[in-house]
Amino acid sequence: KIKHDIPELEQLESGPWPSFVADAKRYALRRRKLGQDNLLINQDVVEDLLGQVELSYVHGETHWKHGGIVGVIGYGGGVIGRYSDVPEQFPGVAHFHTIRVAQVPSKFYDTDFLRGLCDLWEYRGSGLLNMHGSTGDIILLGTFTDQLEPIFQELAQVLDVDLGGSGSNLRTPECCVGKARCQYALYDTQEMCYEMTMHYQDELHRPAFPYKFKFKFDGCPNGCVASIARADLSFIGTWRDDIRIDQDAVQGYINGEFPPGGGSHKGRDWGKFDIYEEVINRCPTGCMSLEGGKLVIDNANCTRCMHCINTMPRALKPGKDTGVSLLFGAKAPILEGAQMSVLVIPFMKAEPPYDNIKEIIDKTFEWWMEEGKNRERLGETIQRVGLQRFCDVLGVPPAPQMVKEPRSNPYIFWKEEDVPGGFKRDINDYRSRHAR
Amino acid sequence: TRDKLGRFNPDNPMENRVTDIGPRHYWQCFPPVIQKNYGKWDYHEILEPGVLVHVSETGDKAYTVRVGGMRFMTVEYLREICDIADKLADGYVRFTTRNNIEFIVDSLEKVEALKEELGKHKFVSGSYKFPIGGTGAGVTNVVHTQGFIHCHTAAVDASSMVKAIMDGVFEHFTSMELPAQVRISMACCLNMCGAVHCSDIALLGYHRKPPAVDHEVLEKICEIPLAIASCPTAAISPAKTEDGKKSVKIKVERCMFCGNCYTMCPALPLADGEGDCVVLLAGGKLSNRISPPKFSKVVIPYLPNNHPRFPEVVEAVKQVLEAYAKDARKYERLGDWAERIGWEKFFEKCGLPFTEHLIDDYRLAYDTYRTSTQFKY
Amino acid sequence: MEELKKAIVEFCESGKTKTKFYFKDIEKAVKDKVPGAKTLQIKKACSALINEGVLIYYSTGSTTMYGLKGKGITEDH
Repeated sequence: KIKHDIPELEQLESGPWPSFVADAKRYALRRRKLGQDNLLINQDVVEDLLGQVELSYVHGETHWKHGGIVGVIGYGGGVIGRYSDVPEQFPGVAHFHTIRVAQVPSKFYDTDFLRGLCDLWEYRGSGLLNMHGSTGDIILLGTFTDQLEPIFQELAQVLDVDLGGSGSNLRTPECCVGKARCQYALYDTQEMCYEMTMHYQDELHRPAFPYKFKFKFDGCPNGCVASIARADLSFIGTWRDDIRIDQDAVQGYINGEFPPGGGSHKGRDWGKFDIYEEVINRCPTGCMSLEGGKLVIDNANCTRCMHCINTMPRALKPGKDTGVSLLFGAKAPILEGAQMSVLVIPFMKAEPPYDNIKEIIDKTFEWWMEEGKNRERLGETIQRVGLQRFCDVLGVPPAPQMVKEPRSNPYIFWKEEDVPGGFKRDINDYRSRHAR
Repeated sequence: TRDKLGRFNPDNPMENRVTDIGPRHYWQCFPPVIQKNYGKWDYHEILEPGVLVHVSETGDKAYTVRVGGMRFMTVEYLREICDIADKLADGYVRFTTRNNIEFIVDSLEKVEALKEELGKHKFVSGSYKFPIGGTGAGVTNVVHTQGFIHCHTAAVDASSMVKAIMDGVFEHFTSMELPAQVRISMACCLNMCGAVHCSDIALLGYHRKPPAVDHEVLEKICEIPLAIASCPTAAISPAKTEDGKKSVKIKVERCMFCGNCYTMCPALPLADGEGDCVVLLAGGKLSNRISPPKFSKVVIPYLPNNHPRFPEVVEAVKQVLEAYAKDARKYERLGDWAERIGWEKFFEKCGLPFTEHLIDDYRLAYDTYRTSTQFKY
Repeated sequence: MEELKKAIVEFCESGKTKTKFYFKDIEKAVKDKVPGAKTLQIKKACSALINEGVLIYYSTGSTTMYGLKGKGITEDH
C-alpha cells in the first residue's frame, strides 16, 4: 500500500494495455525497500507524484509550476525546471526538474547503456522517465536542482552521452529507422542525423535563435518520423531515376504468391489481390499500366507517392539515383495555425560530409537570425516575408515544384529593377502626352 | 560514483568537465544482424500482427517483435525490457517514434521464444506489460505529451487518456483488420508538443478560460514585462490594482488559452477543471502515399475532461473508428475516406452532430467554406 | 571581444524593470553601439559571459533569454 490514497489512478490498473499506474506503484515499493540511504532524491518521490496526479484528476487541473532553470553550466538548454504548487502535501516532488538526454539516432540501444542509465537515474533522480519524448530525447523526469550537475557529468563522463535541446536552440535531431532496417531508406538517415547533430553542437546547447529549430530526417516519402509536420527543416529521401521493376515478382503478386502491402492487411479477407483495383487504378497520377502482362510505369509522370512500392515491396523498388528533398517551415498551431514544411529544394545528393547541405543550413540560420522576430518559427518568417525572399537568400531559383498552383491574385510586388526605366518618372514627360 | 556530488566539483566546476559530445554513436547499438546488413535490405513482410521479417540481399533475415510500451515508465520497467533483451535478443532493443518497443533477432526460433516470454509478463493488476502488435492496418501506439505527470500548461492528463483509449481499441492493436493504419495522437494543450495535427485521430486538451489574475502577489512573484512579452497575441498589458499594486490586465477576447503567460508568471493560472475540455480532430496523415500529407480537422469541438478513464472520449474514438472500418476501401486512410464520401457524409456515418464551432472563423477560414453547388444531402 | 562583452553587460544593466532579454534585442543594441559587430561574435561574447558567471540563461522551455546573474528572477527562485 502506498503513502497516498489514489482511487482514481487505481482505476487505470485494469484493462489489457500496459498500466503506468501499476508500473509506478510497483516501483514506489522498490524505492521504499532501497531506503533513503541508497537514494539521493526523496525515496517517496514516486508516491508523492502519484498523490499529486490523483489530486489533479480530482481537480481536473494540473499542479505543476514552471521554473526558469535551463541547464547545466554553460548550456542554455536540456533541463526544464518544474515545481509543485502543493509542495507541503507532496514534498518529494517539490522540485521535479526534467533532463533531456540525447537519444541514439533511431533509438537503438544496448542494454549495458540502458542499465547504466537506470542505475544513475534511480540513485540521483526519481527513477521515472520517458522513452521517449515528442522530439525524441530520453526524458528523465524529476530531480532536484543540486543533482543537475552531478547527473550531467555522470552522463557525459561515464555513459558517453550529452543533453538534448530545449529553448531557443537547435532541438535534438531525430531520424527514422533508415538503412538499419528498412529497404526504403533513400539516404543514410542515421549517419546524416549524427553528423548534423555533432556539427551543430554549439547551436544545440547555446541558444541564440529567435525560437526553437528542428531537423528531422525521413528516409523516404512514407515519412515515419513526421518531419513534414514538425521540423523547421525536413529532410525527406527521394530519387530521380526510374522505379525498378521485377516483372516476375509482379506476376507473383498477381498469382497470389506474395501478400500485398508486405502483409499489412492480413487480418481481414479483402478477396483476391487485384492489381488494377489495388495498384494501377489507385496511382494518383495514373502513370501505370499493364501491357502484355508486364507492368509499365511512365516514370516522367510519377510523383513518388510510393503506394505501388508499398503495396508490392518485392516487385518494385525506388530508383538508384537517390538523395533528399529539403522542405522548410513546419510547426504546430501556435500562433497563426499549423504549417507543414514547404518544398524548396526538390533534390540534392546527401553524402558525407554533406557540405552542400551544411551550406544551405548555414544560410538558413543566418537569414532567420537576422530576419526572424523573437519567438517566430522559420515557417512564420517565410510566411511573413514570402517564399521568394527565402529562395533568393538560399540562391535557389524559383521552380513550379515549389507551389501546388500559381497564385490566383495578380498583386505582384514588382521591384524597380524589374521594370524598364525604373520607378523614377517625370511628370512633365507624361504631361507632354496627356493634358491635365 | 555514489556520493552526493559524484564527478562534479563545485569548487572547480570545469575540472574534468566533458561537454558537446552529442549522442552515443548508433553503430555500437545495432544488433549483429543489423550491422551486417546495414543498407542491404531487400524487402519486408509482416508475418503476423507485431512480427516483421526484413530480408537482406545477403539472404539474412532480421525478425522484429514489436510490442506496445508506455512513454511514461519507471527504471524498473526499463530494466525488465533489458532482462528480456539480454535473455532473448542478444542484449539489444529499439524504441519507435510511437513509443513501441522492438526486439530484433535473427531466427524464427528466437521470435517464438520472445513471444512466449513477452506474453508471460503481466502486471499484478492483470494488464499486459508487453502486448504484441502495432503493425500494418491496425491501430498502433498513441503518441502523447506529458499531461499532469509533468506539464504546467496541460488542460487534461495524457497518460490516463491514452491508457483508456488503448484499452478501448486494444483489439485493433493486436490485429490488422482496418482499411489502413490508423494513427491516434494526443496532446494535452494547444501548444501541441506532440505535434498531433496530422493524425488520423487526434485528441487535444483545451483550456476555455483566460488566466485568472492573482493581483495580490503578481508584482512580487512575476516580472511584469516578461509576462507581457510572453503573450503571443499581445493580450496582456500593465495595470494597477485599486490599492496601487502593480499588476496586469487581460484582453479576454484576444486570449487563445495557450498558457505561455503562466509559464512566465505563476500568478496567471489558466487551468480550470470546469472549463477545460477535450477536442477531437480527424483525417490527418503524414505519409505521401496516394494523397499528400494533410492536417487533421476538428470534428468534435467539446468532450468532457472526465478523468481518469474519459468514457466520452473513448466512445467517440471508437465511433469514428468503427464507421471508418465499416465503410472505407482497402488502403484508404481515414482522411482520404472522409474526402471521398464528403465531410457531410462523414458526420452522418460517424453519427456526429455538426455544430457552429466546426465552421472555421480564424485566419484563412474562407478557404474552408464550400464555394460550389456540389454537395450531398 | 571585451568591447562586445562590455556592450552586452551595459545593455542588460540598462533595463529598468526588465531583467531578461532576448538574444535579438541584445544583438541589436550591441550592433548599434559597436558598428561592424557580427552576430556570431555577439553570440560568442554572450557564451563567454555565461561561462564567466556574469550572465545566466533563463528559459520557458520553448524560449530562452539572457539576464544578469542575481538580477530579477534567478535560477534559485
